[in-house]
Amino acid sequence: MSELSVNHLLGIKYLNEQDIQLIFETADHFKEVINRPIKKVPSLRDITIANLFFENSTRTKLSFELAEKRLSADVINFSSAQSSVKKGETLIDTVNNILSMKVDMVVMRHPNPGAGVFLSKHIKASIVNAGDGAHEHPTQALLDSYSIREKLGDVSGKKVVIVGDILHSRVALSNIFALQLQGAEVMVCGPKTLIPKYIHELGVKVETNLTKALNWCDVANMLRVQNERMDISYFPSTREYSQQFGVTKDLLDSLDKEITIMHPGPINRGVEITSDVADSKQSIILDQVQNGVAIRMAVIYLLASKIKQ
Amino acid sequence: MNILIKSATIIDPNSDYNNTTQDILIENGVITKIESNLSNPNNYEEITLENLHISEGWFDSSVCFGEPGFEDRETIENGLKTAAYSGFTAVAMNANTNPVIDSNSDIIFTKSKASNHAVNLLPIGALTVGSKTVDLAELYDMHNAGAVAFYDYQKPISNPNLLKIALQYASNFDGLVCSFPQENKISGNGVMHEHITSTRLGLKGNPALAEELQVARDLFLLEYTGGKLHIPTISTPKSVALIREAKKKKLDVSCSVAIHNLALTDATLTEFNTHFKVLPPLRTKEDAEALIEAVNDGTIDMVTSDHNPIDVEHKKVEFDHAAYGTIGLESSFGALQSLFSTEKAVEILTKGKSRFGVAPVSIKVGNKANLSLFNPSTSYTFTKNNIVSKSKNAIFEDANLKGKVYGIVANNKIVLNS
Repeated sequence: MSELSVNHLLGIKYLNEQDIQLIFETADHFKEVINRPIKKVPSLRDITIANLFFENSTRTKLSFELAEKRLSADVINFSSAQSSVKKGETLIDTVNNILSMKVDMVVMRHPNPGAGVFLSKHIKASIVNAGDGAHEHPTQALLDSYSIREKLGDVSGKKVVIVGDILHSRVALSNIFALQLQGAEVMVCGPKTLIPKYIHELGVKVETNLTKALNWCDVANMLRVQNERMDISYFPSTREYSQQFGVTKDLLDSLDKEITIMHPGPINRGVEITSDVADSKQSIILDQVQNGVAIRMAVIYLLASKIKQ
Repeated sequence: MNILIKSATIIDPNSDYNNTTQDILIENGVITKIESNLSNPNNYEEITLENLHISEGWFDSSVCFGEPGFEDRETIENGLKTAAYSGFTAVAMNANTNPVIDSNSDIIFTKSKASNHAVNLLPIGALTVGSKTVDLAELYDMHNAGAVAFYDYQKPISNPNLLKIALQYASNFDGLVCSFPQENKISGNGVMHEHITSTRLGLKGNPALAEELQVARDLFLLEYTGGKLHIPTISTPKSVALIREAKKKKLDVSCSVAIHNLALTDATLTEFNTHFKVLPPLRTKEDAEALIEAVNDGTIDMVTSDHNPIDVEHKKVEFDHAAYGTIGLESSFGALQSLFSTEKAVEILTKGKSRFGVAPVSIKVGNKANLSLFNPSTSYTFTKNNIVSKSKNAIFEDANLKGKVYGIVANNKIVLNS
């Protein structure tokens, strides 16, 4: 039986192409399950999963919890917007306290890049990174690629532009790694202040003109501007931002071809995309959300099957 | 102390015995005879060690020992023992203690803690009160008590007028002012070098620009004020170029580089290992190569271990939260010898002395014995077992190093590494 090459999902950069295909094939199966009248399988009845969210999250947390419950895992939740360090307890101590209650797997969101990698070196449970600072958000990238595959048949050879705040975005980084692994071409587009200076060395194209970027691509993944991660203003106003980097219906209609619009959410309507774009037939934003549950079921199922060995 | 050192190869370009193997007789701390095949007249203690080499005692221009205030990280006593075991006969200790060493009495306390030790402890006083980079500390008073330089360890002086005044004021008594090369507004929250690795890891980058802007500014100020400026731990080729130009203009500027910035690059950080979190950050291979070249051509005046013991509680945490710094005394010689010849390594380890007021003592009859003892040809993997420091945050852990240190003879004492 095929299995993942890793014991944790810490980032896309730690996966290989076979891992991604295996996750997609497993997700295909679970997508069928969650569309049944009884949306649940008993696969993980003997597994306990802790969702540790050291940073605010609504949709990712719900998506993981739903995925876990549909696999019949026991689930406990821990949320703290404050980092454990500020409370005087180290991350390792916090997690080890929870693990001593016989938890098998940890799903963790954390504000610091590398928190999952760090934890994996010091604790015994299997770890799923649900977003670590501006590092990676692997399940988001997997569900994004899965949604492109579903819409366009294949990811290989497709041109994908990621638009917006690349500098503070774990979604951008994971998407770049995932798309490149599957043979897609990647471009980033945004104000220069929000594009890492050396990102071209990852083999991505860099464009600051949105119209040119959209004319080039098959898929545009629109990112939210992460004001909460900014220590200073990287652009003068959201009005001016949306003038340059907001996708409107008029702009979409002016293109030579029909491109697919994605967004990891939450959307700032009227900033990065207008409502009519978000709700248009070119948008697959809600498909992404549904696929998120199937992808997370697949990841958890595959990692759990390695624990059981 | 009377000893006879047998069969030691002397590495000292200022000695007539350079590159020869001799026996050395030391009586009451003074070299009294250097000859091949000396007999042991009065049953003195004899030192016979495998492939023994000796040189003038080594000096490190930047160490931190944590005392007072951070004794859990390191104490002066154990710090000096570490220095001795690592071949150093003099170390300049930074003022990053608690309280900060910023007064005459603090300097006296520090010196008293180190008296009667084989290693000379040279205290660096803080440049500003509490190292808060706001008001000048009593530099003259500290100078009189024995402070060899003035430095707010790794705290940039953001206010250019403050550095201007410090340089002007300290020039009255030939004081050495140190300025950490970092423009804080540009470095921002950066925790590693801004380049491809920081991009891949999603860690905030601290660009080379932050250092270079500050170096350029400081040199402009120095040109205006006169005085003596030392720029500790530079890490980029442009900083080197700026300092090279300043030296051509005869500005009285010196600089150092940390050994790890020569030997390691930001590529080591891929696993978020906090042992590699240092300031200035590890930069690229090209940067390290340019720095080595600048050490070779003399633009960089001295190489330091920038020894900074940090307890495990401040290192075994998320990368963003981890403290900057590494211990380095123990690995200094082995790391340097991995990059340079033995002769060059010894030159590097003795070169910065005069800038910090340490008189060079070459290996000659009649001179005080101030010696480092080592075997340059042993290759080994540096592990926790090689660490003498209380804290174990070693950037060179698991690195392959070349050359082992036996210890020192200095201040009429002998300290040998078991």
